[in-house]
Amino acid sequence: MISLAALARRAAPVLACIGLLAMWQVASIVLKNDSFPTAIEAIRAIPDILGDRESLLNILASLRRMAIGFGVAVLVSIPLGLLMGRSRSVAAFFNPLLMVIYPVPKAALMPIIMLWLGVGDITKTLVIFLGVSLPVIYHSFEGAKAVEEKMLWSGAAMGLSTAQRLVRIVLPAALPEILTGCRTGLVLALITMITSEMIARQSGAGNILFNALDMGQYDTVFAMIIIVGAMGICLDAIFERIRARLVRWSEPQFDMPLSFS
Amino acid sequence: MKVVPSRSSEWVRPVTPQKPASAIIEIDRVSQVFQTSARKDHVALSDISLTIEEGAFVSILGPSGCGKSTLLYIVGGFVSPTSGAAKIKGQAITGPGPDRGPVFQEFALFPWKTVLGNVMYGPRQKGVRATEAEAQSRALIEMVGLKGYENFYPKELSGGMKQRVALARTLAYHPEVLLMDEPFGALDAHTRTRLQNDLLNIWERDRKTVLFVTHSVDEAVFLSDKVVMMSKSPGRIRDVIDIDLPRPRRRNELLLDPRYQKYVVNIERMFDESDEAGSPS
Repeated sequence: MISLAALARRAAPVLACIGLLAMWQVASIVLKNDSFPTAIEAIRAIPDILGDRESLLNILASLRRMAIGFGVAVLVSIPLGLLMGRSRSVAAFFNPLLMVIYPVPKAALMPIIMLWLGVGDITKTLVIFLGVSLPVIYHSFEGAKAVEEKMLWSGAAMGLSTAQRLVRIVLPAALPEILTGCRTGLVLALITMITSEMIARQSGAGNILFNALDMGQYDTVFAMIIIVGAMGICLDAIFERIRARLVRWSEPQFDMPLSFS
Repeated sequence: MKVVPSRSSEWVRPVTPQKPASAIIEIDRVSQVFQTSARKDHVALSDISLTIEEGAFVSILGPSGCGKSTLLYIVGGFVSPTSGAAKIKGQAITGPGPDRGPVFQEFALFPWKTVLGNVMYGPRQKGVRATEAEAQSRALIEMVGLKGYENFYPKELSGGMKQRVALARTLAYHPEVLLMDEPFGALDAHTRTRLQNDLLNIWERDRKTVLFVTHSVDEAVFLSDKVVMMSKSPGRIRDVIDIDLPRPRRRNELLLDPRYQKYVVNIERMFDESDEAGSPS
């Protein structure tokens, strides 16, 4: 049996969504602005978008770029971050480089990348890659740096080489921190995905959104905002499930030591 | 071989420079200097020479900051001395190895591994088959008193239990020397006493060589065959005292034994004297 408190906890996000939509509905009725459709109008436009083959392919193309950009970024950034965290010389080389890149909005680099690589998939995927890399590198770096020296010594005494210690001790020990970076990276992937399609309009979810804006189809614009938002919530929820499973051993619910010497 | 017991009246014996045939660890004029700032050096260890015989339980006793842990790390191969050399079985120590098993005050368990996974780690790394490593590890976990906790994560255990796992994990790969770095320093008094008793019981089974760093006089006398007293800044060996008390040692008997009490009182007095003298010899 589910307790009342647990039920309330589960219902809370749903209630929050309904509340938000209700406020939206009331606000748009009160404001009576053409460019601000009601929530119901926007929701009604969703099936039209998702039912349209062309739009669906656009959205899938966006997701594909996002998946590739995110995946490659994670595969490159984790090893780099871990190496930086354990080697002072690697950190000394990459740190200034990354400090220069960090505050630059990745979308601002897009016109230049477009000049070099065109307006196709590569450019957009590269921008997503850049957006995801930095938080993942940063968190991997911090995670690797914080690994207890004595843990590495224990591994060394068992005969693990430096490379083995990096893969078999530093990586798992830093995993909670790495996954925090990946979670931030996932949200940034979604953001850079949309902004890249805003700048290089050719295909994708962002393209549908901004085309509709140009044509004054405001219900479609808001429907797309809902779709993108829902995608973000779903991706984050899926990622959170995977993360919780991978780092079960570090979760605070276990933080109740047994009383026995 | 055991440390040759001295006559009970002669409770202090200076270290003899002669090298016994059964020496397992030899520390030869080791010094360690840390650069604390651009111009100031901190001499952690100054000209330490020490021989540890095979099968002996040796404690390194001293105030905090006397470099006793650093000396242990040098034997472990985790730290290289600024000058001098340490040897194990005649071979120069150049790095860590499975012949020397550390147990740290901080436990340093692998938090992503269960108790069983932690204990199996060393044997698996050595190439022992999984089924065999598991059987050995389960037996060790039972020996340290943690039967039933095989699938717990370190986070779910108390400090004392963690240190039991750490001990089992180190024993699992059969090091010839146990290097214990204030292993019970982070535990409450009651837990510490229990672990001291259990450590002695486990040690009685195979009498491995143990190098045990502590700042507790009682602990050093209770556990050891030999107590190496260190003084502070620079870290030097002040005295080496043979503890001539019968084994196996029972806590309730030993605490009433005047010989035990005499060792404790005399060692404490020696530390007090060197404190008053200001600059330890």
